[in-house]
Amino acid sequence: MSVPPLLNIENLKTYFYSKGRQAFIRSVDDVSFEIRRGETLGVVGESGSGKSVMALSVMGLVGAAPGVVAGRIGLKTDGIRKNLLQDLDDYVERVEADGRVVEVRKDVVGWQKNVERLMAMVRGKTVAMIFQNPKSSLNPFLSVGRQITEAIRLHTPCKGKAESRERALYWLERVRMDSPRLRYDNYPRALSGGMCQRAMVAMVLSCEPSFLIADEPTTGLDATIQSRIADLLAELKADLGVTTMLISHDIGIIRRLSDSVAVMYGGMVVEYGPAGKVLAAGPESGHPYTAALLASVPDERNIRGKEPLQAIPGDVPDTIHVPNGCRFYGRCVRVTAAVDKECASLLPPLSEITPGHAVRCWLYEGS
Amino acid sequence: MPGTILEVSRLKKYFSQRRGWFSPHSGEERLIPAVDDVSFYIKEKEILGLVGESGCGKTTVGRTILGLTPATSGSILFEGKEITALPPEELRALRSRMQMIFQDLDAALNPKMRVRDILSEAILLHHRLTDAEVERKTAELLEQVNLKASKLPSFPDELSGGEKRRVGIARALAVGARFLVADEPTSALDVSIQAQVVNLLLDLQKRLGLSYLFISHDLRVVELLSHKVAVMYLGKIVEIGLSESIARAPRHPYTRILWSSLVEKQSGEAFRHPHGSAAGSWGVFDFERPAAGCRFAPRCPVFEAKGRPAVCTDPSSAPQLAAAGPAHQVACHFPTE
Amino acid sequence: MRKRYVQAPGRSDEASGLRFLRKADAVDLFFVGYGLLIVVLVAASYAAGVFRLLPYDPEAVNLGLMLAPPGTAGHLLGTDFMGRDLLSRLILGIQAYFLPGLLAVAVAIVPGAALGVLAGYGAGRADRVITWFSNLVDSFPRLVLILLVVAAFKPDIYFIMVVVGLTNVPATVSLVKVKIRFLREKNFIEAAEGLGLPRRTIVLKHILWHHCRASLIIRATLGMGEAILMETSLSYLGFGVQEPTPSWGNMVQSGANYFLQGNFWPSTVPALAILLSILGFHLLGDGLNNLLERKAVH
Ligand SMILES: Nc1ncnc2c1ncn2[C@@H]1O[C@H](COP(=O)(O)OP(=O)(O)OP(=O)(O)O)[C@@H](O)[C@H]1O
Ligand SMILES: Nc1ncnc2c1ncn2[C@@H]1O[C@H](COP(=O)(O)OP(=O)(O)O)[C@@H](O)[C@H]1O
Ligand code: SF4
Ligand code: SF4
Ligand SMILES: [Mg+2]
Ligand SMILES: [Mg+2]
Repeated sequence: MSVPPLLNIENLKTYFYSKGRQAFIRSVDDVSFEIRRGETLGVVGESGSGKSVMALSVMGLVGAAPGVVAGRIGLKTDGIRKNLLQDLDDYVERVEADGRVVEVRKDVVGWQKNVERLMAMVRGKTVAMIFQNPKSSLNPFLSVGRQITEAIRLHTPCKGKAESRERALYWLERVRMDSPRLRYDNYPRALSGGMCQRAMVAMVLSCEPSFLIADEPTTGLDATIQSRIADLLAELKADLGVTTMLISHDIGIIRRLSDSVAVMYGGMVVEYGPAGKVLAAGPESGHPYTAALLASVPDERNIRGKEPLQAIPGDVPDTIHVPNGCRFYGRCVRVTAAVDKECASLLPPLSEITPGHAVRCWLYEGS
Repeated sequence: MPGTILEVSRLKKYFSQRRGWFSPHSGEERLIPAVDDVSFYIKEKEILGLVGESGCGKTTVGRTILGLTPATSGSILFEGKEITALPPEELRALRSRMQMIFQDLDAALNPKMRVRDILSEAILLHHRLTDAEVERKTAELLEQVNLKASKLPSFPDELSGGEKRRVGIARALAVGARFLVADEPTSALDVSIQAQVVNLLLDLQKRLGLSYLFISHDLRVVELLSHKVAVMYLGKIVEIGLSESIARAPRHPYTRILWSSLVEKQSGEAFRHPHGSAAGSWGVFDFERPAAGCRFAPRCPVFEAKGRPAVCTDPSSAPQLAAAGPAHQVACHFPTE
Repeated sequence: MRKRYVQAPGRSDEASGLRFLRKADAVDLFFVGYGLLIVVLVAASYAAGVFRLLPYDPEAVNLGLMLAPPGTAGHLLGTDFMGRDLLSRLILGIQAYFLPGLLAVAVAIVPGAALGVLAGYGAGRADRVITWFSNLVDSFPRLVLILLVVAAFKPDIYFIMVVVGLTNVPATVSLVKVKIRFLREKNFIEAAEGLGLPRRTIVLKHILWHHCRASLIIRATLGMGEAILMETSLSYLGFGVQEPTPSWGNMVQSGANYFLQGNFWPSTVPALAILLSILGFHLLGDGLNNLLERKAVH
């Protein structure tokens, strides 16, 4: 590739431990992909498929144990390529069986210190994240304006009091917050769900990061403001060349903004490639899950006829007792007799079907 | 009105800035007209969709109906009974008939309670039942919302978004509600789970004869689910009518923009033609300097196209909801034909 | 050692899951175990004291066996300067602080939690009044307050403990208040209200039981430790329990006169008892906190 990737994730594994069920939750299991400078990567997938945990792993913000247990996250900052998971292996011991991690020993406290050291210069300035749950990500005891100005003064050259206030108001206006001057003094409690969302977006964008992780930035906003936020992201990309990882379940926005798309299912990337190709999946092309996902978007026929929507049958995959075979097996409607045995018992590899477009499915193997 | 389960008339809810929970402002009192003179009714077994800009007061309408926040003025008749000034005890009893499904998925369930306890608490709230009966009722609820019994011992943190939503719905059904305020029940969910929840809500409505006030930003889902749709803008209902007519033949400029931005968001039209976008100029509305007359005027393309007619900004002639077709009302001086 | 915590495997392997729990929480389990041991010992001794199930009469003077060292036949911990059995006195000494300590804890926790709920829930005027009152109480130097009470009434330990409890009320109030403020931001409290649950259930079950119990238990155990310290100091200074009735404080005090002559046990034994029991209450609170709040990892 001519442009080297800005971020590349290799074999990332992030696990949690469920005390209730006394087993690992394999939230992110062997995820690899890369984002080139100036590109927007769209990440879609079922809720619980590990999108947010993957994003938090990049930010070094996975709080619960054991957290990140394996992988490499390369990020280029100020021209230097850094591994954000440097020395991970010094802190973690893994026991594997049948090619699967079954036991982990990790110095969680030491690792957290290491992460803080690694991320200190990166967070906020180079990488910033719009969190999925704005109501809980904003500090309830500080006014919105105060939180934004603090972020501005911390991460941008803009240090003056009046100056940072101006910047904050500018961004509040830019995310289309009504009565920005009034909202500046509001506490999060007095804002509606969508207003908190916009305040969060304003706070993150005001830091002017070069790499932005947006975890469902338009959830809970009405269509006009959604399209306004989409405009804003598109502008940032066009004018400032901001690289973005856009996590969303709004296929419309993903379709509009992304250059490439990763589809996640059960903690794994099941399809990865140029947006045009991935989102063009029809009933007979691409990964069966992607096709089913696209089919559950309500279309004219459903709406006119008031028909039930086409939901994917079956349950979300169990990330605790993961099956040996394909994780979509059991819900997949395209299993043929020829591949049935493999689907049930062997994990399909993520392999390219055309250059740059990879699919994790037995249907595309060996042909 | 017979067959009407809920009738809201001239409902107002003003928040004052000074009374804010942690507000340091002890100075002048600023009023935020979150809900300003809203009237509508919902018939038995009917679904009314409520859409509108984020922050326009949809949640507040829902919370006021349920008595979670007192109304400033206006009346709410539930099953023919005035409920704005009920004593707390009666209000509590009433909540066995009406329930809310909260916008914030994560925060609506007590994180320290297991699913089993969350449900049995709701079941036992209005009925005295033996353990075996509670067990049976729980199983029945799980069956109704398609939740596996293996989730009963889980804590909310261990559930996926769709499952949390189902627990929320099951809890509302557990107390025996006939009327649900569903505040963006699908917004935090991905499309496939969204589809499941929408189907579930439709199915429950048909099977149990429930009525909903369905608040959502997803216009397609609203159109699919609702019989009628009300469109709100800054605390006021600007258009209300059958869902087909609102979606296919909107009369109010804001409704038109709302539905066209749906297409725009998907195609990226607006980005390619930033100036030709239907979204208008997008001036930011300011509560501190509210536009006189029609609140939508600062953004209204019709207002611009007509050469800023004075009637739109005349404080004494703010547009009122007026009949604009069969079961269709619109508040605009120049409704689109 | 670098690897401090062990995570269990992801298979349905229950036993190794337990191993994880054990290793991660071993220290806390030990603390709690020790704390519980102390609590049980203290409570049992208190009961023994009530029913006078003591090896000797603690006030019986035996001038023939003064200052017998620990281990003397029949006197496990030795005797004091009047030949009174130290073990018996130690056990009976618990009477001096046990009920008063519980009273202090109850006074700090019960009205504290109630006011905290009022302040957190009621907001507005209730909050302002309660906060003002808390600040007022907080700004009084507690020792001065106690001495005032001692001067005004007779040096009755119950009065003193009520004062100790009262001075701890503001801490409980703010603890509960802050918790409620925080919880109200998450709207499950509102959801519970919307469900139609009675206020009582919401406050008692959802707020206090589910979210404040750990902190309240710690406050209670710390309060008990503090009560022991307070009572023993007062008795040591002569304000508390008066001779010949034993209390750990006046035992240390009367024993101290013989310390330099080499007869260290009459003062050291009760001093050790004070140390170990206060430590026990503190560790119990700390360990319970970690276990209940699942803070084992951080
Ligand atoms: N407790 C409160 N104190 C002060 N103002 C409030 C409070 N709750 C809501 N508001 C204000 O009321 C208005 C309407 O809020 P509401 O939550 O009803 O919006 P909404 O239509 O549900 O928006 P969204 O779609 O973003 O959830 C907003 O201007 C908000 O700032
Ligand atoms: N702190 C945590 N402790 C335990 N499990 C967690 C934690 N955070 C996330 N998970 C689990 O990880 C999985 C993936 O979650 P997430 O990445 O949030 O999904 P999504 O793709 O919807 O963003 C879920 O099963 C979730 O329950
Ligand atoms: S591998 Fe088999 S089960 Fe998995 S998606 Fe492909 S066809 Fe379906
Ligand atoms: S009344 Fe005037 S300004 Fe308001 S929506 Fe209608 S045309 Fe636009
Ligand atoms: Mg997520
Ligand atoms: Mg809302």
